[in-house]
Amino acid sequence: MGWFDDNFIPALDGVAYGLLLFVVAAGLTLAFGSGGVLNLAHGTLYAFAAYTATEVADGSWPGLALAVLAGIAAGAAGGGVLAVMTAPIAGRGHMAQAMLTFGVALVGGDLLMTVFGKDDPQVSVPSALEKPVSILGHNYPGYRLAFIGVAIALGVVGWYVLARTRIGAAVRASVDDPEMLAAGGISPARVRSGVLIAAGALAGLAGGLGAPIIGPSTSVANTVLLQSLLVVVIGGLGSVGGALLAAILVGEVQTLGVTLMPDFAPYLMYATMAVMLIARTARFGPTGSRV
Amino acid sequence: MTPASPISRRSFRVSAAGLLAGALAFTAACSGSAADDKKGGSSSGTLKIGLTIPLTGVYAALGPDLQNGFQTYLDQHGGKLGGHKVELVITDEGDGPQTSVPSVTKLIKQDKVTAVVGLSNAATVAANVDLVNDNKVPMIGAVGRPGEIKRQDYVWHTSYLSEEPGVAAAPYIKEAVQGPVYAIGPDYQGGYDQLRGFTETFDKLGGKLANPDGKTKWTPFPATNNFQPYFNEIKNSGAKAVYTFYAGTAAVNFVKQYKQSDIKDIPLYAAGFLTEGAVLGAEGDAAKGVFTSLNYTPTLDIPANRSFVSAYQAKYNALPTMMSATMYDAAAVLDKAIAAAGDKVTPETVNAQIANTGKVDSPRGPWEFNTKSHAPVQKWYLREVKQDGTALSNVMVRELGTLG
Repeated sequence: MGWFDDNFIPALDGVAYGLLLFVVAAGLTLAFGSGGVLNLAHGTLYAFAAYTATEVADGSWPGLALAVLAGIAAGAAGGGVLAVMTAPIAGRGHMAQAMLTFGVALVGGDLLMTVFGKDDPQVSVPSALEKPVSILGHNYPGYRLAFIGVAIALGVVGWYVLARTRIGAAVRASVDDPEMLAAGGISPARVRSGVLIAAGALAGLAGGLGAPIIGPSTSVANTVLLQSLLVVVIGGLGSVGGALLAAILVGEVQTLGVTLMPDFAPYLMYATMAVMLIARTARFGPTGSRV
Repeated sequence: MTPASPISRRSFRVSAAGLLAGALAFTAACSGSAADDKKGGSSSGTLKIGLTIPLTGVYAALGPDLQNGFQTYLDQHGGKLGGHKVELVITDEGDGPQTSVPSVTKLIKQDKVTAVVGLSNAATVAANVDLVNDNKVPMIGAVGRPGEIKRQDYVWHTSYLSEEPGVAAAPYIKEAVQGPVYAIGPDYQGGYDQLRGFTETFDKLGGKLANPDGKTKWTPFPATNNFQPYFNEIKNSGAKAVYTFYAGTAAVNFVKQYKQSDIKDIPLYAAGFLTEGAVLGAEGDAAKGVFTSLNYTPTLDIPANRSFVSAYQAKYNALPTMMSATMYDAAAVLDKAIAAAGDKVTPETVNAQIANTGKVDSPRGPWEFNTKSHAPVQKWYLREVKQDGTALSNVMVRELGTLG
C-alpha cells in the first residue's frame, strides 16, 4: 500500500495524460488506417484547436462548452482542408502525402503564430474545475479528474460507433476492402473525406478539452505530433485498441517514469518505443501491423 | 518531455524574421512621427535614446512593462533628460542575440543613440557587451544580467545580479521554516544562477535541503509543463517549504498546479519572477500566499514609490512591475548623467557621468551602483501575493536586508 500511496498521483496523472494522447492519436490512426493519409499536420490541428478554444473560453461553463465545440469545429475544418488537398495525390502513396502534410504543418505553424501571437496564452476554465479534488487522501487538479471521466465516456462512444454502427462498419470496410465497399454502393472517396474530417475533429476535440493540460504554444504542435506518432507506432498503425493501451503507456512513462527513474526520464519514452518495436517485429513479422 | 525539434526552431526563425521586419517598420514609423513632433525646438538639442525591448517572443509580455516605466519618467519630466528633449527609438529584442544584436547595432550605427536601454534577457546583454564597449555607447540593462561580464566599462544594470533573490531570501526562510526546504528550478543558466544563490546561502547558514540527494532538482526547460510528478517527490521528501524560480508560462503552470496538488499547503517561496507582472494575472487566485523575494514591490510605502505608482496607474491602468521600476530608474540615471555632461553630451561623456550617479531616489528606495558589478547596491523585500483592492498584488511583508 505504501508504494501505491506514494505514487498514486503520478499514476493517475499518467492516465489523464495518456487519455489525452489517445484522443489525439485515435484521429491520427484513423486517418492512416481508414483514410490512408499519414497526417503530419495532425499536431498542428491540435494546436489550432487549442488556440481557438483559448480565445473562446471565458471561465464560465457555457464558455467551456463553446470552447470545446469551437475546438472541434476548428479541427474538423482543418481536416476538411487536408481532405481536399490530399485527394489529388491519394494514389501516390504515403510518402507524397506525408510530405504534403508536413508542408502544411510548417505553413500552419507560422500562420498560427501570426494569428494568435507568439505568447503562450492561458486558457480560463470555470473556477469550480480549478480546485483540487480529494481522491484516496490525495489532492488532484479538478479539471484533469473531470477530463479522465469525459475521455472514458468518449472512448466508449467511439468504440460503439466503430464496432456497432453502419458508419463504423463502412469505416472498417474502407480499411479492409475498399473495392468491396464501392461495390456495396458507398463511395470510398467519400468515406475517405469523412474519415479525414472526423480525424481532424478528434484532434480538435483533444485540443479543445486538452488546452488546460497541454496548452497552446509555439512548440505544442510538434510535441503533440511526436507523442501521438509514438502512441500510434507502439499501438500498431490503424489499431484503436492498441492506441489506447499505448497512450496510457506513454502517459505513465512520462509521469511515473519521471518519479521513479528521474535520471532516465528523457530517454524512457524512446526506449519504450524501441523495445515495443523489437518485440512486435519478433511477434508479428517485419510489418508489425494488425489493423 | 520532448526537446523542440529543429523544424520548430526553423519555422520559429522564419516567422521571427517576418515579425522583426514588422517591428522595424513600426519603429521607423514611430521615429518618423517623433521627428514630426519637433515643433520649434532646435533639433541639435534633441537626444536619441534607444530602447531594445522584447516586442516578440517568449518575453513579449514584458515589453509594455519596460517601455511604460521609461515613458513614465519622461512624462513626469516634460519629455526631457538632463535638459535635452529626448526622442525614443524602439527596437525589438526578440528571443535573444539573433534579433537583439542587429537591433542594438542599428541603434548605434544608424540612429547614433546616446545610450541603449532595456534588454530583458541576460543572453541578449552578453551578446552585446563587445558591441557597446567597442563603440563606447553606454548600455543600461533593466532585467537579466549575465553572471560574468568581462568588459564592464559601458555595461550597467538597474536590476540586480541573478543570484541575489535567493541570497536575500535564504536567511529569512531558514528562520521561518525551521526544517528542510526542497529546491527545484528550470534546467538552464538562469535557473542555475537563481537557485545557486539560495542553496549556497542556505547551506552556509546550516540549512538542509529536503531533496533526497541534497541537490537542486532540475526540470527540463522549456519542455516541462506538467509538474505533478515533481510535486509527488516533494510530498514524499517531507519538505517543510519549497524554494523555486520559474518565469513566464512555466511559472503559471507551476503555481496553478501547485495549488491543486498534495503539496498545496506547503509554503512556497520563490525569486520574484514567479509572480511578477503579466504572469500574476494568469495565475489568479492560485498565486495567493506565495512568498517571493525581489528588489521592488508596488506596495512599498515611500513617497518616491507613491508618486510613481499613481502616475503609472493613471496612464496605463495597471500596477507597475519590477521591470517598470528598473526602467524608470534607467531614465533617472540618464537624466543625472546627461545633465552632468554639460554641453559636451556624447555617449562617452554620458557613460563617464553614469559612474558618478551617486544615490538614485528610486521608487524601490534609494540605491547606488556597485563600482565593480555596475549593478545596484539595494534593499531586498519579501513580498506575499494578496488581494490589493480589485487586483492581486505582491504586497510588502518585510525587508530582507541590503545586497550588491
